[in-house]
Amino acid sequence: MIAAKNTSWLSRTPAGWKFGTLLAISISLYLISSWQVLLALLLVSIATLVSARVDFKQLRMPLVTLAAILAVVLILLGIQTGWLNATIAVLRLLTMCIFAYSVSLTTSFDAMLELFQKVASPLRVLGANPAQIALALSMAIRFIPELKRVYLEVREAQHARGLGNNPLAVSVPLVIRSLKIADETAEALDARGYDSAPARHHRL
Amino acid sequence: MSTTTAPSQTRNTVYVAVFAAMIAAMGLVPPITLGVIPVPITLQTLGVMLAGAMLGPWRGSLASLVVIVLSVAGLPLLAGGRGGLGVLLGPTGGYLVGWFFGSLVIGALFKYWVIRMQSKLLQLVSGLVATILGGIVVIYLFGVPWTAVVTGLDLKTSLVGSLAFLPGDLLKAVVATLVALTVHRSYRGLLK
Repeated sequence: MIAAKNTSWLSRTPAGWKFGTLLAISISLYLISSWQVLLALLLVSIATLVSARVDFKQLRMPLVTLAAILAVVLILLGIQTGWLNATIAVLRLLTMCIFAYSVSLTTSFDAMLELFQKVASPLRVLGANPAQIALALSMAIRFIPELKRVYLEVREAQHARGLGNNPLAVSVPLVIRSLKIADETAEALDARGYDSAPARHHRL
Repeated sequence: MSTTTAPSQTRNTVYVAVFAAMIAAMGLVPPITLGVIPVPITLQTLGVMLAGAMLGPWRGSLASLVVIVLSVAGLPLLAGGRGGLGVLLGPTGGYLVGWFFGSLVIGALFKYWVIRMQSKLLQLVSGLVATILGGIVVIYLFGVPWTAVVTGLDLKTSLVGSLAFLPGDLLKAVVATLVALTVHRSYRGLLK
């Protein structure tokens, strides 16, 4: 889920603040075991979500999935450890997820990636190259539609041979074509002299 | 087609990106229903296993990490079109985190053990051990306690719940092993 066009107060808040607050809330939710406080926090989370004016259409599927999981948790936990305990666990999870949805639906994908890169920047000491990380992420996004197309093509072709449901007949060509795509792209990048290695590694 | 020279950093990055896209594509496509198992399974964890088995520990685990990062950042890449911070904080977040370590373990075992076996039978057996260990044991090792902590269920219930996915995952381990060994035979040098 990504922020659709949103101009609420929450979408104007910097991603780092939202992320930090979400982390702090998630941890403190586990330290609270009073159902009254948790219920109050659930109401706060719902108020946050509503005040952020998110697109509720985007929330339908995640909420249905979450409700199904929570129902199972409620019943299992209720039978095992009592209904009060089960209610507390469900309240906690629901609150945490609603806060998480509020952040996800008011933060653009770019802002989120930028934040991750900031968080990961200390890894530079360990030899991680930020340019390579950025290249990997953007290239992966670019390749997803292509790989999806290849996957569907292979499945269709094998279906015509009566092998459509044979995972082996689908996966082998998919992996080989993925490797070919990778080789061709790497060659194209090399041929154009793309070099994202750090300056000190420049070949002469 | 084989590369004899050490792969460049750019080439490694491209491999990571393409396999990340493959894992994502396997979750976007409608799931296959297999005759043997009544529930439809998506091939996403098959992609995670394959990334490790084909690319080795580092590139394989980074491919999984790219998918984790992109989906947590908000892209709906996970099976069923899920994505966003809620996925990580929710009951199944541990399985997602486990992907990274699963493909790391599979990659290490394939690179240093499976691929060096002399006979085809030994490769098959060790490959199965590697994919089951990395793709099932390691991923469940993160997923099961995570669910227990997040929901408050005890470990046993969480484990029993995850067993519903075991038949599908075992089948994926078999497929991943067979695919990886088949492709490694024609694409030598990938794990050098």
